[in-house]
Amino acid sequence: MSPAYILKRIVLVGYTLLVVSLIVFAITQILPADAAVMMLGENATTEALSALRTKMGLDASIWAQYGHWLAGVLRGDFGVSMRTGQPVGPVMIEALGRSLLLALFSIVLMLVLALPLGIIAAVRRGRIADLLVSVISYIGVSLPEFVTATLVVLVLADWLQWLPATGYVPLTENPLQGLRHLVLPVLTISVILIAHVSRMVRSELVDVLHTDYVRAARLKGLPKRTVLYKHALRNALLPTITIVALDVGYLLGGVIVVEEIFALPGIGRQLIVAIQSRDLPSIQAGALIMAATYAIASFLADIAYARLDRRIQYD
Amino acid sequence: MTPILDIAGYCLDYATPAGFTRALDAVTLGVAKGEVLGLVGESGSGKTSLAWAIMRHLPESAREAGRIRLIDKELTTTSEAEIEAIRGRRIGMVFQDPSTSLNPTLPLGEQLAEVLEHHRGLTRKQAWAEGEAMLARVGLKVPREMMRRYPHEASGGEKQRVVIATAFACQPECIIFDEPTTALDVITARQILDLFGELQAETGVASLYISHDLALVSRVANRVAVIHRGRIVEQGKVEEVFASPQDDYTQKLLAAVPRPDHRLVDDAGPGSEAKALVEVDKVSVRYGRKPFLAKLLGRENTQFTGNRDISLSVREGEILGIVGESGSGKSTLARALTGLNPFEGEIRFAGRPISGLKDMDRAYRRDVQIIFQHPDSSLNPRQRIREILSRPLALYGTVEQRKDANAIGALLEQVRLPAAYAERYPHQLSGGEKQRVAIARAFASRPKLVICDEITSALDVSVQASVVELLVDLQKRFGTAYLFITHDLNLVRQIAHRIAVMYRGDLVDLVDVAELSGGQVHAYTRSLIEAVPAPAAPASELPRI
Amino acid sequence: MIELLRRVLRSPQGALGLVLVGLILLVVVLGPWIAPYDPESLAPLQRYKPPSALFWLGTDQYGRDILSRLLHGARATVVMAVFATALGTLAGAVIGTISAFLGGRSDEAIMRTVDAVMAIPSLLLALLIVNLLGKSSWNALLAIAIAFTPGMARVTRSVALAVRKQDYVNAAIARGESARFIVWREMLPNVVAPIIVEMTIRVAFAVMLFATLSFLGLGAQPPASEWGLMVAEARRFMHLSPWMILWPSLAVAFVAIGFNLLGDGLRDALNPRT
Repeated sequence: MSPAYILKRIVLVGYTLLVVSLIVFAITQILPADAAVMMLGENATTEALSALRTKMGLDASIWAQYGHWLAGVLRGDFGVSMRTGQPVGPVMIEALGRSLLLALFSIVLMLVLALPLGIIAAVRRGRIADLLVSVISYIGVSLPEFVTATLVVLVLADWLQWLPATGYVPLTENPLQGLRHLVLPVLTISVILIAHVSRMVRSELVDVLHTDYVRAARLKGLPKRTVLYKHALRNALLPTITIVALDVGYLLGGVIVVEEIFALPGIGRQLIVAIQSRDLPSIQAGALIMAATYAIASFLADIAYARLDRRIQYD
Repeated sequence: MTPILDIAGYCLDYATPAGFTRALDAVTLGVAKGEVLGLVGESGSGKTSLAWAIMRHLPESAREAGRIRLIDKELTTTSEAEIEAIRGRRIGMVFQDPSTSLNPTLPLGEQLAEVLEHHRGLTRKQAWAEGEAMLARVGLKVPREMMRRYPHEASGGEKQRVVIATAFACQPECIIFDEPTTALDVITARQILDLFGELQAETGVASLYISHDLALVSRVANRVAVIHRGRIVEQGKVEEVFASPQDDYTQKLLAAVPRPDHRLVDDAGPGSEAKALVEVDKVSVRYGRKPFLAKLLGRENTQFTGNRDISLSVREGEILGIVGESGSGKSTLARALTGLNPFEGEIRFAGRPISGLKDMDRAYRRDVQIIFQHPDSSLNPRQRIREILSRPLALYGTVEQRKDANAIGALLEQVRLPAAYAERYPHQLSGGEKQRVAIARAFASRPKLVICDEITSALDVSVQASVVELLVDLQKRFGTAYLFITHDLNLVRQIAHRIAVMYRGDLVDLVDVAELSGGQVHAYTRSLIEAVPAPAAPASELPRI
Repeated sequence: MIELLRRVLRSPQGALGLVLVGLILLVVVLGPWIAPYDPESLAPLQRYKPPSALFWLGTDQYGRDILSRLLHGARATVVMAVFATALGTLAGAVIGTISAFLGGRSDEAIMRTVDAVMAIPSLLLALLIVNLLGKSSWNALLAIAIAFTPGMARVTRSVALAVRKQDYVNAAIARGESARFIVWREMLPNVVAPIIVEMTIRVAFAVMLFATLSFLGLGAQPPASEWGLMVAEARRFMHLSPWMILWPSLAVAFVAIGFNLLGDGLRDALNPRT
């Protein structure tokens, strides 16, 4: 992997964020709501409104507004919330931290469960175990987060009363309570990921198990286990890296719903609140930060893939 | 002498939803120490099934009868665990395509050393040292470095040497060679065959050499078994089987093998005074574009040259053969001539200059037709044969043809297919039949030049023979000129008037077919001729490797 | 068509998917007629009833029959999702085909931009668009269509490029066929099949997305009996009557499973290798 390849990927991340910032700005700025009216209320005087518009830069051309906003973003200044009057950036970053914690736990749980499920299904292809994994994953990918959330709350919080249904306690404050509050959201987000990734692992591994080199390894007299772990898995898991990176997109979408349902103060919940109160700077910052998270995740996945797959000569 | 590998009355069936289909029927054969048994058959004959059966690598749907014995060990009843100890240690195997039979993510050395560690209990260090010695033994120049390389960093020939080293690693009593040179270029294949001969003589291993190529088997084997539809139809000493084949199928197979001395076109072709139909003048083709970033970083041009200043001409009614290994640029030239590649330089067709795609008008398109290698890809799977054949008629046919309801049937009969095939889809036809449809499509516009791009290389020998015969027939009838592109030197020597040899994008030779052997030819051409096993001529003494 | 149907029925997923989707379509068409009650008639005395012979799936907080509401809501949920997917597929197919056709730098520029748009999670993009256009079913439909467009553009482009490489297209070019003929007669029939497969699977996703938007209060508005909305409304009464929230949740999952299975079955059936 050459520095040129990494440079090219970094340029692409930059381009992605530029496009996303344009889209987000375009969508939010033509919102059918006048920001100045929203802040001062319906009864404000015309003079007060135009003074505020001038102050907020809303009377400048749309491109000037975009340039001004983007320049701020590049300095790390996302503007001031129209709802709370607080700077948006720090609030969103703090919320992102909580969301990333949720995402991290979900990815770990997903890997711990999806890999073995996919491997078992592929190795026992056409048997009961395969059928079971297949059924589980069909159900899993077909459950929207709000349905999964409903079910886990009904069973684990309502009937069995094992876990709290909503709320958030920082891990630094009370690690045990904090973890207990994270279990249901993590479970909810993981279901769809586990289902999707285990299916992908299965189909990749089934393909690899049918390759000539796996057969050749068997015919060299190597035991099944050695062939599976040394020859097959390595090749089957490589494409899975890319799939996991793509799933970060689903994951972020899921975060929005799950944080809303479980009243978890992460970036998803901030976004929903911002959208409901039409708090433009917060919406812009939240959306941009989410897209940036996804872009960086897929950048890291590409780099990891390129490092692991010796065949690919990047330039 | 007692055989090492002894197969007696072996039958193999595969369970399908429609019942059992027989893959192998009462196969009986033996391979003794120091012997090479050539197993010859066309695709679907069951030769690979037999290899899997010996290696005990059968799907669950397999049902067997009879026995397969390795010296004193009955393999059909041996447990999985014992088989694992026999595979790779007592029976080795060399696979067809080294680019797929080696794991792309493991170093070559690892894939060799793991066998030594597993079967001979060597430590990792010992195994790597021994592996290095073996790579040196199979003729690899830099064995230490080769051990650490990954498959994509080695050439096809180098990889196949590693595979061979692995098969010989534990000094097995028997090795199965499954078409070990089919995926390689002619000259590399020849070197691999030489290596096989050396190692075979040195170790005295009992070898079962599976191949579709009769000519090749006649060079490497002591005895030969011909397999057809799961049955061994004939078996015996190579000289005897080739000199006086007893079975009908063997006779047919032998007759189908292309032999340079057996010319299928009787005339010497249009002489040099004949009018040139196509003149290719200093044509070059370059692929790829200069990447922006590479330019930015001051790196060199990554463009790849497909053809470099090619100049040749095809005379009216002439068959011009183009030979060369894969990547030599022969297909690139064909694509340039049909407007599928941009090119530099000039092409003149019947005197008219053509310098690019824009000059290829209706008349040119009608007169120049191309047939591709894989009929599976060149016939649209969602169109019936009728629709496929109606297009050239709609574009270039006469008014009568377009009105004639039987025009399609006539086209099919011209390539010796039943007219009823018009209503079929391509997937309902065999490979040879599909290629005939492609030929019919090319001839529908009565072209002056037909470019045949490796059109028989995906076909079995006997099918190839009938397709070539058809082409020669059509040529006689219509006087069409052919640009016949192939990697098979023997085949092209049968039908071409002149032969062009290409090597890495250059045209290195252009000679009359008679001058090829003995004449003043390029060094590459000579090595090409030397590398091709002379086909088994009936009743003649065979030179042995 | 008959042949395709037979091939779909041959795989267990395909057969089950076909049955489920068939049932769903039946409900979509006949739902309002087979519903035992008026979905909007309030019955204060029949509130929070568990399933019984009278109300098969129980009643909600206003005493409305849940089964009748589900049967009526099928149209709002499924038809909307199918339309949204079709619209997104069409837009994506146009962009993907143009990109593949142009090739070179334009292709790269279009695809990099498509990738960039895909960096915004579908749900977030849909949320932003609905917020821009205003809360309603139709705007949710449009938002989902837009959110699906970049993904479908990617799929279409890769399929079109694969077909473009086939020799039957080369043969048509060498034969001197018009660009129109090559695109419509040679390429399109081979491009459509994989796109239909992708579309079927995406209907499942659209149903989920549409229900999620309604659940968040940005799709269908009360008193509609859209399933996601029903779940959102039932949340407050979850402890009182879990049935209220369970049935619409399962209905959404049922539809998604049906389309997922059918999509996989179609994929196998349309694969020429099997």
